[in-house]
Amino acid sequence: MSTLAVAAVLIVLLFVLLAGGLWIAMAMSVVGWFGLQFFTNSPPEASLFQSFWGATASWTLAALPLFVWMGEILFRTKLSEEMFEGLSPWLGWLPGRLMHVNIIGCGIFAAVSGSSAATCATIGKVALPELRKRGYDEKMSLGSLCGAGTLGLLIPPSIIMIVYAVAAEVSILKMFVAGVLPGVLLIALFSGCIAVWALVSRGKVPPPEPGMTWRERLRRSRNLIPTVLLITFVMSMMFTGYATATEAAAVGVLGSLAIAGWSGSLSWATFRASLMGATRLSCMILFILAGAAFMSSCMAFTGVPRALAEWVASLHMHTYGLLAVLSVIYVLLGMVIDGISMIVLTMTIVLPMVQAAGLDLIWFGIFIVILVEIAQITPPVGFNLFVLQTMSGRDINYVARASIPFFFMMLLALAAIVAFPGLATWLPDALLGATRS
Amino acid sequence: MRRFLDRLYLASAVAGAVCLASIAVVMLLQAGMREAGLLLRGADDIVSWLCAASAFLALGYTFRSGELIRVSLLLEQLPPRSRRPAETACLVAALLVVGYATWAVAGFVYESWQLGEVAQGLLQIPIWIPQASLVLGLAVFLVAVIDELVQHLAGGKTAYQAAHDARRAAADFSSEL
Repeated sequence: MSTLAVAAVLIVLLFVLLAGGLWIAMAMSVVGWFGLQFFTNSPPEASLFQSFWGATASWTLAALPLFVWMGEILFRTKLSEEMFEGLSPWLGWLPGRLMHVNIIGCGIFAAVSGSSAATCATIGKVALPELRKRGYDEKMSLGSLCGAGTLGLLIPPSIIMIVYAVAAEVSILKMFVAGVLPGVLLIALFSGCIAVWALVSRGKVPPPEPGMTWRERLRRSRNLIPTVLLITFVMSMMFTGYATATEAAAVGVLGSLAIAGWSGSLSWATFRASLMGATRLSCMILFILAGAAFMSSCMAFTGVPRALAEWVASLHMHTYGLLAVLSVIYVLLGMVIDGISMIVLTMTIVLPMVQAAGLDLIWFGIFIVILVEIAQITPPVGFNLFVLQTMSGRDINYVARASIPFFFMMLLALAAIVAFPGLATWLPDALLGATRS
Repeated sequence: MRRFLDRLYLASAVAGAVCLASIAVVMLLQAGMREAGLLLRGADDIVSWLCAASAFLALGYTFRSGELIRVSLLLEQLPPRSRRPAETACLVAALLVVGYATWAVAGFVYESWQLGEVAQGLLQIPIWIPQASLVLGLAVFLVAVIDELVQHLAGGKTAYQAAHDARRAAADFSSEL
């Protein structure tokens, strides 16, 4: 059997198992076992043991449970109320006024949380009813929250970036730094989108709030100061190369516990809930990584990724062509599966192609994270849509339609990093040194 | 029996949670001692072992709370009559996968215990000690899968389905990224 035929068999098997509803990590394990058992002479049980142990007993990966925990702790504080109260006095002068709280709030929460659904839910919980009460357009409000919530994935710390960095064997720190400028770009695009909308449909924006003295504004924002300090501290530790991602994550956990304690929302019950929540979430991700490692080892033994990479190379596609094809595939995949599975399921096969095309793996990581962000807001499976659907009581199609302008902003950001790769690669190279693999 | 099993899953998950919290403690200790010019021997190894243990020990509990990801899109479209056998097939497949993984991992850890293999690194303890968390976690996971299969075959609702439905009803998306 040719290697390409083996590839076809394994990929079809994977799709059948996934579509059948088998748990994703288990489906990958079945494919790993099947491939090794029938197409190689390598004993599958040895690979399984090495993959399960090797993939999870990892010092760098330990940053993941810690960042998950940090997000879980802050998710249970009063940050969402404080965010609206603290940001609204400063944003009223922009065209679109308080609608920008959605974008900036998500941007800030994204810097403490690595999750898109949590970002969307935290900011939406208070902003959505407050904006509605003040008479802001609900559709635009929902769309902007849906889009900006995905910043949780792009702005460090990001769980999905850790998963990518582990799968692609690149530095977690570099991925984090690389996400900063594209994150800022997306914030600007989202805010710009609101501003343009506000300018063309003037009647839909309610009148400005009564003016406030600077003193009053600062008083309202004072509760945000500890969070902003924590973000600055954790980021600067990582970005100056002073601490590793895992160390920074541990400091982040300590800092968020301190913030929760200071704001009075830390009790034994919330502590336990945050820790158990983090344990379940990181267990789910690590189990997927273990299954993925097993499937990858099978792929490596059968030579499938190399054969596919050579096949793709033989098509002499232009790099842009390859990226366009990958984008379409990922957007389609993103309609039915979640981001993490999307990345781990495809990495073994896609990375050799990407490397053969001479693309930088850090850059490609950002490219793929933006595609995963898009996946978060495309129906039928898009978790931000689910979050806002239940929060607003609207049906999913309404939320999806509301997100369309922001969907295009993300495509624009994607095009921008393809046209100007430096957006993703300049900052990490400048801060952490250019060590290309 | 029911109470014993529920306690087993919870106890194992709490052990996993303690491992997770310990990662933070060890990292902070290491960073603090480094500032003071001291070296915490083998901290990196301990952290990686704790990381593996935190994941595997919590598997059974996470599985039953419906937080292990699966593609339920097609399954949810099925009419109730054909959905039950499909769910049975999934659970039987899960039983085979987890059973096989438990057997494979247990075999290797047993072997390394027999041979007295020692961890490579600064902490030279027998490697089976940290690796036992994999065996233990997978064994509890296996029990949880069997438990769910029995529950399902008896005509009841599985714990993961009930937990999933409850979260949707309460609009709780904290388990999604």
